[in-house]
Amino acid sequence: MSQSHLDALYDYVQERCLWQFFSRSWDREENIEGVLNQVVRLWSGEEPLRGTPQERLFYADALPIVSDIKGRFDWASTIPAEEVKFLIEGLKSRLTETVITRSTNRELNHHLY
Amino acid sequence: MPMVLLECDKDIPERQKHIYLKAPDEDTRDFLPIANAATIPGTLSERGCAFCGAKLVIGGVLKDTIQMIHGPLGCAYDTWHTKRYPTDNGHFNMKYVWSTDMKESHVVFGGEKRLEKSMHEAFDEMPDIKRMIVYTTCPTALIGDDIKAVAKQVMKDRPDVDVFTVECPGFSGVSQSKGHHVLNIGWINEKVDTLQKEITSDYTINFIGDFNIQGDSQLLQTYWDKLGIQVIAHFTGNGTYDDLRCMHQAQLNVVNCARSSGYIANELKKRYGIPRLDIDSWGFNYMAEGIRKICAFFGIEERGEALIAEEEAKWKPKLDWYKERLQGTKMAIWTGGPRLWHWTKSVEDDLGVQVVAMSSKFGHEEDFEKVIARGREGTYYIDDGNELEFFEIIELVKPDVIFTGPRVGELIKKLHIPYVNGHAYHNGPYMGFEGFVNLARDMYNAVYNPLRHLAAVDIRDKSQTTPIITRGAA
Repeated sequence: MSQSHLDALYDYVQERCLWQFFSRSWDREENIEGVLNQVVRLWSGEEPLRGTPQERLFYADALPIVSDIKGRFDWASTIPAEEVKFLIEGLKSRLTETVITRSTNRELNHHLY
Repeated sequence: MPMVLLECDKDIPERQKHIYLKAPDEDTRDFLPIANAATIPGTLSERGCAFCGAKLVIGGVLKDTIQMIHGPLGCAYDTWHTKRYPTDNGHFNMKYVWSTDMKESHVVFGGEKRLEKSMHEAFDEMPDIKRMIVYTTCPTALIGDDIKAVAKQVMKDRPDVDVFTVECPGFSGVSQSKGHHVLNIGWINEKVDTLQKEITSDYTINFIGDFNIQGDSQLLQTYWDKLGIQVIAHFTGNGTYDDLRCMHQAQLNVVNCARSSGYIANELKKRYGIPRLDIDSWGFNYMAEGIRKICAFFGIEERGEALIAEEEAKWKPKLDWYKERLQGTKMAIWTGGPRLWHWTKSVEDDLGVQVVAMSSKFGHEEDFEKVIARGREGTYYIDDGNELEFFEIIELVKPDVIFTGPRVGELIKKLHIPYVNGHAYHNGPYMGFEGFVNLARDMYNAVYNPLRHLAAVDIRDKSQTTPIITRGAA
C-alpha cells in the first residue's frame, strides 16, 4: 500500500464526506464500514449491494467518492483490485482513529441522541 | 499550533480552550475547541437562549401553527420577525405573534388559567387555524405551570385542534442548541406517526434542517418537483404541523442542518429504519453532489443529471462573473454553527474566496470536527466568540467581508468592514444554484460598496481625500 495514495484518500474523505462525522461513535463506525465497502465494490467493478434502504444510501454516498478519486488521481484507475481493498482497509483504520478512537468529541459515546 | 489565548482574554484564560488556529499537519485529534459548554463568566456571549432555539429556529417557521408563548411579552416579541422565513400562504407565521403576557400577579398566583384563556382566545380569533405549539419560558417554568395539562384540557374542549408543548425555558441549556434538541425529541416522541398522508410518488423524502430562509425551501422544492420526489415533510421550512406528523412515511431523510435537526433524523433511523443522508445545500458543487446522491438512492440518476445540467447552464455563467471579481476575497463567518462547515469550502471552490476566521455560537464539537477538516490552515476557529475577540481577530486576519448577524454587523460597520447577513441573508435565497449566485452578488455588492469607504471620510476635513473605488466592470 502506498502511503501517498492513502494520504490522498484520507485528505479527500476528511474534506468532502459528512457521513464520517455523524453524531455518535456507532453511527460513524457503521458509515465508515458501509460506505467504504461500497467504494471497494464500485472501484473494483463489482456490483454494489442495493438490497436494503441503508445499502442504497451507502451506494449513493460511495458513487461520488469513486468518481472523484478516479477523476483526481491518475493512479486510481490502474491499481489492481487487491490493492484497492488493502488501501481502503488502511483508510478505514485511519478514519476510525481520527473520528472515533482518538476523537475528543465529548458527545460521541452518549447513549441517547 | 496550540490553542490560542488572545490578548483580550488574558483575564479569562479559560477561553484558550475555545479558539484554535489551524497549522500544517494538524487535525482534530490534536486540537478540537471545546464547544456546547457553559459560557465563561467574564465573556460577553453572543448566544441566544434555549427557548429561542426551539421557537425562533424551528417551531416558529411553520406556516399553519399558532405559536403560544407562555411568558412575559418580551419572550414573544424578541423571537418574532428577527428571522425571515416566508411561507406560500401569505406569511402567517411572520404576521402574527402570540403571548400570554405574564405579569407579576400571574407569577405569584400561577399562570395556567391565563394560558388556557389565551389558547382559547387565539383559536377563537383565528378559526381557520387548528394547530398550536405552546412554549414555556423562564418564569413559567420556575413557577411550575403544567402546560401539558392545560394543552390536554384545551384539546378536550376543542376536539378539532391539536397542540404540541415545548418545555424548554431559556435557562435550560447553554445556548439555543438545547431548544433544538428538546423540540426534536419531543416531536418524535409525541407527534410523529399520529397521522398518515397520501403518497403520490414512488420516491419520498423528508427534507430536514432547512427553514426556508428567504425562500430556500421553496427554491429547493422546484428541484424535488422536477425530479418527481414527494417531500413528506419539510422540517420545518414552509412546512405544516400535520406534515411533520407523517415523517415516518418517508423512504429517506435528507438532512441539511445537522446541528438543529440531526436528532430527529437519528431517531427516525433508529425507530423507523429510515436512512439519513447529510448534504450541503449551499454551493454549486455541493448541491449537484446532493442531488446526485438522492437520485442514486432512488435509481433515477438520469433525472438528476438533467436537472443539474439545466441549472448549471442557467446559473454557472453568472456565478463565474462574480468568481472572477471575488477571487482572493478574505471572508469571516460568524454565525450559529453549521454554516461554518457548509460554506468554508463552497465559497473557496465556487467563488475563490478564502475564509480566514470562523466563529460558532451554538455549534457542538462535532461541528468543529467538520469545519476544521474542511477549513484552511491559518484560519481561526472560535467557539462562542465575544465582541472583544471579534475585534482582535479582525486585526489579525483583516477580512474583506464578514457574514454574521445584524448585531455584530452593526459593530463591524463602524470599522468600515462590510457585513452580509449570514443568518437571514441580505437578498436570498442562498441555497441551490440560483441561491449561491444571490450569495455571490450580495458578497460582491458588500465588498465593492463605495459607501463604506466614503463613510470614513470627514467632509469637514479638507485634508482628507475621497477614496476612489475600483469596481469590476460588467
